[in-house]
Amino acid sequence: MIKNYLLSAIRNMARNKFYTGLNILGLTIGLVTFIMIFLYVSDELSYDKYHQNYQRIYRLESSFRIGTKYDNFAIVPLPLGPALKLEYPEIEKVVRFAGTDNMLIRVGEKEYYERRFYYTDSTVFEVFSHELVQGRLEGCLSEPNTMVVSQSMARKLFGNENPIGQVVLTDNERQFKITAVVEDVPENSHLKFDGLMSAATLSKEMGEDEFNSMDPNRFWNIGVYTYVMINPNSSMLTVHEKFPQFYDKYMKSIGDQINASFDLKTTRLDQIHLNAQTASDLPTGNKAYVSIFSIVALFILLLASINYMNMATARATKRAKEVGLRKVVGAERRQLIFQFVSEAVLITIIAMILSFAISGLLLSDFSTLTGKTLSVEALFSANVVMLLVVLSIVIGIISGSYPAFYLSGFSPLAVLKGSGGKSGKTNHWLRRVLVVVQFFIAIVMIIATIIVGEQLHFLKNKDLGFNKENAIVLELQDSAFRSRAESFKQHLLQSPAITSVSNSSGVPSRNGWIQVMLVEQENEMKEMAVILTQCDYDFLTTMGLKLIEGRDFNRDMGTDDSLAVIVNQTAARQFGWGDEVLGKKIHYGMELDRSGGRIMKVIGVVEDFHFNTLHNAIEPIIMFISPVPRFRMTVRTEPGKTQEALDYLEQSWTDFGSKRPFDYEMLDVMQEESYGAEERTGVLFLIISGITMFIALLGLLGLSSYTAENRTREIGIRKVNGALTSDIMLLLFKEFIWLILIAFVLAVPVSIWRLTLWMEESFVYYTEIHWYSVAIAGLAAVIVGLLTTSFHVIKAAGANPVESLKYE
Amino acid sequence: MIKAIDLSRVFLTEEVETTALRQVSFEIKKGEFVAIMGPSGCGKSTLLNIIGLLDNPTSGKYYFLDHEISGSSERQRAKHRKNNIGFVFQNFNLIDELTVFENVEMPLIYLGIPSKERKRRVDEVLEQMQIAHRRKHFPGQLSGGQQQRVAVARAVVSNPKLILADEPTGNLDSANGEEVMNLLSELNKQGTTVVMVTHSQRDAEYSSRIIRLFDGQILAENFQSN
Repeated sequence: MIKNYLLSAIRNMARNKFYTGLNILGLTIGLVTFIMIFLYVSDELSYDKYHQNYQRIYRLESSFRIGTKYDNFAIVPLPLGPALKLEYPEIEKVVRFAGTDNMLIRVGEKEYYERRFYYTDSTVFEVFSHELVQGRLEGCLSEPNTMVVSQSMARKLFGNENPIGQVVLTDNERQFKITAVVEDVPENSHLKFDGLMSAATLSKEMGEDEFNSMDPNRFWNIGVYTYVMINPNSSMLTVHEKFPQFYDKYMKSIGDQINASFDLKTTRLDQIHLNAQTASDLPTGNKAYVSIFSIVALFILLLASINYMNMATARATKRAKEVGLRKVVGAERRQLIFQFVSEAVLITIIAMILSFAISGLLLSDFSTLTGKTLSVEALFSANVVMLLVVLSIVIGIISGSYPAFYLSGFSPLAVLKGSGGKSGKTNHWLRRVLVVVQFFIAIVMIIATIIVGEQLHFLKNKDLGFNKENAIVLELQDSAFRSRAESFKQHLLQSPAITSVSNSSGVPSRNGWIQVMLVEQENEMKEMAVILTQCDYDFLTTMGLKLIEGRDFNRDMGTDDSLAVIVNQTAARQFGWGDEVLGKKIHYGMELDRSGGRIMKVIGVVEDFHFNTLHNAIEPIIMFISPVPRFRMTVRTEPGKTQEALDYLEQSWTDFGSKRPFDYEMLDVMQEESYGAEERTGVLFLIISGITMFIALLGLLGLSSYTAENRTREIGIRKVNGALTSDIMLLLFKEFIWLILIAFVLAVPVSIWRLTLWMEESFVYYTEIHWYSVAIAGLAAVIVGLLTTSFHVIKAAGANPVESLKYE
Repeated sequence: MIKAIDLSRVFLTEEVETTALRQVSFEIKKGEFVAIMGPSGCGKSTLLNIIGLLDNPTSGKYYFLDHEISGSSERQRAKHRKNNIGFVFQNFNLIDELTVFENVEMPLIYLGIPSKERKRRVDEVLEQMQIAHRRKHFPGQLSGGQQQRVAVARAVVSNPKLILADEPTGNLDSANGEEVMNLLSELNKQGTTVVMVTHSQRDAEYSSRIIRLFDGQILAENFQSN
């Protein structure tokens, strides 16, 4: 019996190559998309779960209020972890990680720059699970000047030599002895390190008392990632409940003085990757992507299954005779249902095998796109294969059962008499509704793609209030080199390719310095947390900031180096200065008792500029002359002479004897990189809308072919009664255009609503949605839809009516 | 009205060449009622299709209303067809999704007649065919005889000069068949030329002339007086 079904199924597929091809193609695309997204999502969800105790490990986070400004950070004060452990028995262990920025490592004659090295407490391997490769984990970081490295770092530094006991020199300052080698940190870890250095090293250098001091002052400086492991039977909640007492004891005295407060936040280890939203964090994932992707995967599978159902029922009339005959010779309804369902399962299984092959081919491109390293092993892991097999069978059963019930319900008498079984009125409507659903989704995706693209264009082209073109930004990390910044600057200005140079603490999009200062308000000095940039005399010129009131800094004024400040328009407005801005006072760098520091007067106001990305609103910012050279140097070049300037810069860099390798960023590229996430979203939307559109078109192709076939007789009658080929084409096109138009009308409000919400949530500055972007999406859908259907429509409309009427 | 000279029609299928008509010549004058008879496969329907401009002869000349038609484009043939010819089929060929009214209205739509005028003419012809009370029904809700009356109504609604009927009574019982034949006869008396393919000697007796076909050739032409 099964053999008979199988034979009938295979013959049916072979006879209808077109439909079979469409079905398999659609399902394969759906499954490939599903597999890719499944791999992506399961990788995102697996972060940090390989740690044995991940359910007991929490990261401490800071939530600060300074004045009226709130900020969350992934880093906390250095003594916070140990102090909490001291106070609360719930906390079993504490481990802190202090990052090192671009550290120079020397092994013998060889030098390496490394970023993923941390100073950490000796408890690290008691909290986190890392496999030992060489050496001993017990006490491996308890002694000063000890270091643990990852396997690949050991290989990089020492080749095939035994790394244990080897010595490395960091930043030409400290020596470390390698005590253990651990396996490389898995990709699905939010905290990836290549090397760990003992905190005891710093403790020894600073003096143990100083290092472990719990003086209130030390709680108002954040700087380390801190993880706590709680006792098996405790809850983090009780620690949070008791935190107010902790704050009163350790932090309140200073908090009150500077008009600030602090609250403890925690995130469980496995939640960090997708849920943490804090400043100064390690790279994290995007929860929105995970949910968008999951929904898209299900939708695309749904679309592909709809196509199958659509075409299978559409083909019903063609198979009615087979059903009738089988019934006449004694087939029961359930046997017929089984037959049609197994046909569908056969098709989904073929599609599944194809999708595995295609996924394997696309994996590396997909990894690049998502920034992950997804392996072929992961693709062919038992879990994925099992899931896909089960899924294919389920899709087969679901998408096969509707046609199966429909077909097997034919009355044999009616079928054999030639009236084609059921009239199929409801079935007809269902099919149309399904096509509308498909186009609805496809059009929403197209509109989203266009608007995300427009927003991206807007972000990159908005006038930012400063000149981002032809500006090179250098970082002066080497302190000895930095102390000679002024003579380096004078040297650079000798190049004809360089028009101006400015040394400053921050540049647009790299500007995180916030400090509490006293600001004159209604004849009173009030505490406020304000963003500041310390710079030199050429900052406004180099950045291209526009002065709208007062004057620029001037070397000849004598007092500008300590008593002058320039603010932006927003500062003038938010500080409530009205029209009298010049001469207003700002007291900076004072002690807690308001003594010391310097009191500066406003000498100028610049037009607002976006020193942050367009995700953020413009805030008050103040600029004043720095007493010491700062971290960044911006070099403005003659247009078109950037390469010449870069060559000169690199040569000068070496001539001035920087210990760091020459590196630079372009100011405009830095801006654009801030929108990397949006750029990736744009690309993803483009791909997804392509896929949904394609599947919807497959559905339309199937429907149009069915319609053309099914209406052959009607077309014949109409032609005999005087219809021209063009009349018939219009008649057939009209049917599909309606469906697309309905989908369009439904898609427009939904997509505009959702995209407006997205832009409002993500950006302070965003483009307006133009009617023509939406119209383009609709027009594209209609045109592509018409092209798709035209193949069958033209064929059907042009046919000789004699042929079609003869078949009756 | 119709003049055929040496009409031949050859069908090419994958391997076999089938000659359906061999050098058939005849003439039909305005106001005639002609029956074409012959056994199955003798070429009756092929001839009717050529007369009705649904098909082109392989060779020979065919004049319709003094226009040489053979070799003309589908577009030109469609134009002649919708202005001058009404068809009645054995299986009625009504569109199931359209009501009686809409089925009959269809040729007028393709002639570009305004909707008000269409309604008047459809109502008139439905009255004439005594089927007006079924105007809102779908074909599936009618008996065979009623369906054929609708088909005849559709054939005559545009006042064609020629009505072509292909076994118009083939699917009907004798009472209904007689009714349809009376309708055609009545139309012929009002001046419409009727050409009918039939198996039935009884139906043929309504005609004024019988063309007998055998194996693609005209065997005989009998004029009858009734």
